[in-house]
Amino acid sequence: MSVEHEPIHAPSLIGRRKVLSGLASSGLILSGVHRAFGQARVTVTGEVAPTPIAIPNFVAGTPGDAEVGVGVAQVITNNLKRSGLFAPIDQAAFIERITNIDAAPQFQSWKQIGAQALVMGRMTRQSDGRLKAEFRLWDVNAGQQLAGQQYFTSPEYWRRIAHIISDQIYERMTGEKGYFDSRVVFIDETGSKERRVKRLALMDQDGANVRYLTKGSDLVLTPRFSPSTQEITYMEFGQGDPRVYLFNIETGQREIVGNFPGMSFSPRFSPDGQRIIMSLQQGGNSNLFVMDLRSKSMTRLTDTPAIDTSPSYSPDGSRICFESDRGGKPQIYVMAATGGGAQRISFGEGSYSTPVWSPRGDYIAFTKQGGGQFAIGIMKTDGSGERILTAGYHNEGPTFSPNGRVVMFFREPGGSAGPSLFTVDITGRNELRVPTPGFASDPAWSPLLS
Amino acid sequence: MSIKVDKTLVASVALHVLVLGWVMLSFSTKALEMPPEDSVAVDIVDDQPAKAMAGMKTGKKENPKPLVEKVAEAKPVDDLVGKITEKAPVVTDTAPVPQPKVEEKPVEKKPDPPKVVEKPKEEPKQVETKPDPPKVDPIGETIKKEEKKPPPKPVQAAKPPEAPKQRIVERHFDQNQIAALLDKRDPSRQAVTGDTLNSNAALGTAKGAAASNAATWGAMFMRQVRNCWKKPAGAIDAKDFFMEVEIKLRRDGTLEAAPAPLTSPRDSYQRVFLESAVRATIECAPYRLPPAFFEEWKDFIPQFSTKDAG
Repeated sequence: MSVEHEPIHAPSLIGRRKVLSGLASSGLILSGVHRAFGQARVTVTGEVAPTPIAIPNFVAGTPGDAEVGVGVAQVITNNLKRSGLFAPIDQAAFIERITNIDAAPQFQSWKQIGAQALVMGRMTRQSDGRLKAEFRLWDVNAGQQLAGQQYFTSPEYWRRIAHIISDQIYERMTGEKGYFDSRVVFIDETGSKERRVKRLALMDQDGANVRYLTKGSDLVLTPRFSPSTQEITYMEFGQGDPRVYLFNIETGQREIVGNFPGMSFSPRFSPDGQRIIMSLQQGGNSNLFVMDLRSKSMTRLTDTPAIDTSPSYSPDGSRICFESDRGGKPQIYVMAATGGGAQRISFGEGSYSTPVWSPRGDYIAFTKQGGGQFAIGIMKTDGSGERILTAGYHNEGPTFSPNGRVVMFFREPGGSAGPSLFTVDITGRNELRVPTPGFASDPAWSPLLS
Repeated sequence: MSIKVDKTLVASVALHVLVLGWVMLSFSTKALEMPPEDSVAVDIVDDQPAKAMAGMKTGKKENPKPLVEKVAEAKPVDDLVGKITEKAPVVTDTAPVPQPKVEEKPVEKKPDPPKVVEKPKEEPKQVETKPDPPKVDPIGETIKKEEKKPPPKPVQAAKPPEAPKQRIVERHFDQNQIAALLDKRDPSRQAVTGDTLNSNAALGTAKGAAASNAATWGAMFMRQVRNCWKKPAGAIDAKDFFMEVEIKLRRDGTLEAAPAPLTSPRDSYQRVFLESAVRATIECAPYRLPPAFFEEWKDFIPQFSTKDAG
């Protein structure tokens, strides 16, 4: 799909609002120049709190677009609410009804219901059949437009437009890049525990638009997204040894990465999508290898009499974190992407596995096993600042959102129930279940689509 | 007669004397001279301590003339509460001998530093609980009244052993009769006399130290603005920083102008952090702050910190 976009400028405001915004901007211009002396300084501390935001239904530019206007507002509301950083206000509380997004809203009526931000939008069907989506983000208290954008796309991609607008709002209000316009590949599990059918599935990050990529006749494991292309690599147990596959989501094309002697495990892309790093079993040991996808040449990275597995690149491609039991128990190690000496970074109680480097580069997420618990945690790339995000039986397989702010993982409750997907903020707050059609495991988050 | 002198002994003694003499010389006390140090001029850069010593701007200046309400021979008055009256203090038969304190007061004594005289009628009870010596002895009055009244009822019908005590109890403080002890008259006092008239009482002194009250009203401000401040959650590992916003308030606590950011944000997180602070200061206005400190909070600078509320 193609999405065209261009900015919308704020409509001119009148009266007090104009004066206020003028004063605010003049204050900004003077900043750094004007230093007031003799005034008391009062330190204000506070707690992180979700921003109250009002998201009325998008106005229908043409009569038939009312439904999509409601849908877009709902998707944005759901996205922002699930992020934990916003508190969307119930539409029933709204005082003003937005009918024209080209005029400034009555800020007082939004202030009255406690909104600090207001999103107004309009969906209009164009003569060429495309859909035009416009939105404005207002700072209710300052009476200023914070963002404004319009997009053109095919009508069936209205959800995608809603995700893009959500990202714009998120970025403007938090100062961080968004993650809503992204997808998740996972293993869909159906059937009884003894006869479980596992299929490769793809969905939007909010659980919508589920697509099945394999039929379920063969066992599929550890799907991983390419950080730069719309490709997936995964393992499939067919008739013989497990194979590493490449799957192009756009074209549906599937190819075997290569035939390797022995078992191959946990393939993962390099940041540029040109190489795949994986572990190959050789006797009782396994070592790390990297394969160039163009030349199909393999390079050995480790050569130890231990089990080295689950490699993951740093976002700049210069280093690799991986799991190894060379010290006795499985622990996390970091080494240069070209191999060489590895440095152990995990030193806590228990064993550490499945390390994943954050797209932001600042953290490594892991599964930690100990005391009968499987916890999901993060630590800095030097091993400091370990933080457990969730603990219990049985959490596994962390994957980062494209902005590195949220970690998705799967939880196997045990018994006859199957696994489910969850997200948690890297602060450890806001744990939420991700809706899936059936049981789901082994999620991998895509990069931003746009 | 020749004395045989042991040469080694002589040598030993000589050496000891030499060593001890050297020790005494080298270990002798010597005055430790302190090199004179140049004085270093120190400027106080922070304006807060200076402000703490400045006193309240709203207080009246020190009154150069002592409080005098009547031209006469200077006579101090202890308590400036009450209306001025020309009446001589009432002395009853039963009143105790006026306390020597009044008589011994030297006439030449300078009038007391002026005291605050504000609405003397508002607190008559304070005066009543502290009866002045010249006033009627309340106990004496009570006794007088009690003489007219029938004796208080006995609590129990007949208790012969207690009967003789009745007389002694006559001056006993009876809680039930406390109203009778009260002096119903308005409090009064003698006029303060002196050689020139000056009825202005000074409020404090010009150099009186009044501490900066920012801690008090600042805490009130913070409690209020916190209710509106939604600190953005971005940048989990950003180093602690604060953003300054200058706000100007009217007496009624409303904003006189839009809050003016004083800190320039260096990245997108600092920008949204600063915006959240400005948003909060606008949303939470008007502020309820103590009017007495208006001069301090009419123009001040909240520093919004990334640190969590402690």
